[in-house]
Amino acid sequence: MLPQYSATIFEHFRHPHNYGALPAPEVAYEAVHPLCGDRIRMELNVSADQTITAVRFRGDSCIISRAAASILTELIQGRTLQEVTTLPQEVLLTALRTTIRPARMKCALLPLHALQAGIAAYLV
Amino acid sequence: MWVGEGGDVLGAVTIGGCVDAYVIEQAEAVLADQVPRLIALPLGDEDAWELGLSCAGTIEVFIEPCSAENSQPFDLYTALKSHLDKGGSGALLTCLDGPSMGAKLLLLDDGTTLGSLGDPALDQEVCQAALSHMEQGLSRTLSLALPHMTAQVFVEVHTPPATLMIVGASHVAMLLVQLARPVGFHTIVIDSRPRFATPERFPATDTLLVGIPSEIVKTLPLSSATAVILVAHDYKYDLPILRHVLSSPVGYIGVLGSRRRGEGLLKFLREDGVPEEALRRVRVPIGLDLGGRSAPEIALAILAEVVSARYGGSNLPLSQQRQDRG
Repeated sequence: MLPQYSATIFEHFRHPHNYGALPAPEVAYEAVHPLCGDRIRMELNVSADQTITAVRFRGDSCIISRAAASILTELIQGRTLQEVTTLPQEVLLTALRTTIRPARMKCALLPLHALQAGIAAYLV
Repeated sequence: MWVGEGGDVLGAVTIGGCVDAYVIEQAEAVLADQVPRLIALPLGDEDAWELGLSCAGTIEVFIEPCSAENSQPFDLYTALKSHLDKGGSGALLTCLDGPSMGAKLLLLDDGTTLGSLGDPALDQEVCQAALSHMEQGLSRTLSLALPHMTAQVFVEVHTPPATLMIVGASHVAMLLVQLARPVGFHTIVIDSRPRFATPERFPATDTLLVGIPSEIVKTLPLSSATAVILVAHDYKYDLPILRHVLSSPVGYIGVLGSRRRGEGLLKFLREDGVPEEALRRVRVPIGLDLGGRSAPEIALAILAEVVSARYGGSNLPLSQQRQDRG
């Protein structure tokens, strides 16, 4: 049976938001799924009060992972690093408007994990 | 073929037999008198001719001495190799007759020359003619007629090794690298997964690159001598890489997958605005129909198609071609 992804996922896969690179990101982190090979790089510009002022992502990833990254960049605009660090994964999963099967959960959460790992490294 | 004064032999002139034996004898004579010579040899010995078992035809072999005192050939080959290593092409031109027999001129594809055939007008004429052969990647002998002289010049064309750019560090990719190496391909393997793209899995590859595959491909030179092989069987690599390589002059683009999967990929690219003419360059399913099903057989079928595309092969059995010609 073919997967029934939402129109939201298809739209963000075909026309991802905030796709590309920042010239001088304060936060940059590249994550890879070791088996399926999804690889995503998340980049942030951060103001002095640790508010996110710009976000970009890029990489070769599956439809779910790419759409999740695109949606995530919309969700975190203007938030603080602390807010993103504690962002519940359910917020992202709900925004995908599709039930993600357990086997694909890593795909959907790869961008969030990359972002949170990058912020953790930045805040050390 | 190189023949040393101690009797060492490196390489070959023909696929073997009596011709090479005679060339070696002649080479020893050239080493003794240090005078180059051009010899013509029938292919096949007398017995073979009598029995009709010869391949027939005649070849010409130019034999020249090289020594520490006459290091010009080595110097020119060294300069040529340095240029090839940077991705360029070149041709070593050798005068085969007349008072300048053995004189050499190196012509690079950027127009640079080294050496001379002994006559400025001949140098100019032969360089102009050789450039087109260099573009075709074909070596050949040119017969030139100038107002004041005639000359035969061998144009020895060297191009960078054909490159097999393999995306997807899969089992088929491992076998492809093993097969491609002795065929003379420079191999590059690309994947995003460090667990798969390892030196242990790809000990024979020239370059192993891990990262975002589509970004890696954009950093690499793509020429008509490049074959791009997508064997990850994964659209997340296939789509962005196809978008890029289809706007480049690569000589071969193949994608592992069924006809149905291929049509799906092409539909995506078509909707993205990739021209139909470009899409026709994509070979999917990849490989020649050899009838095999195992991973090594698939790798062989892929490499066979790459070689055929490179030389404009008919993909027919040679025996079948003979029958067609009657």
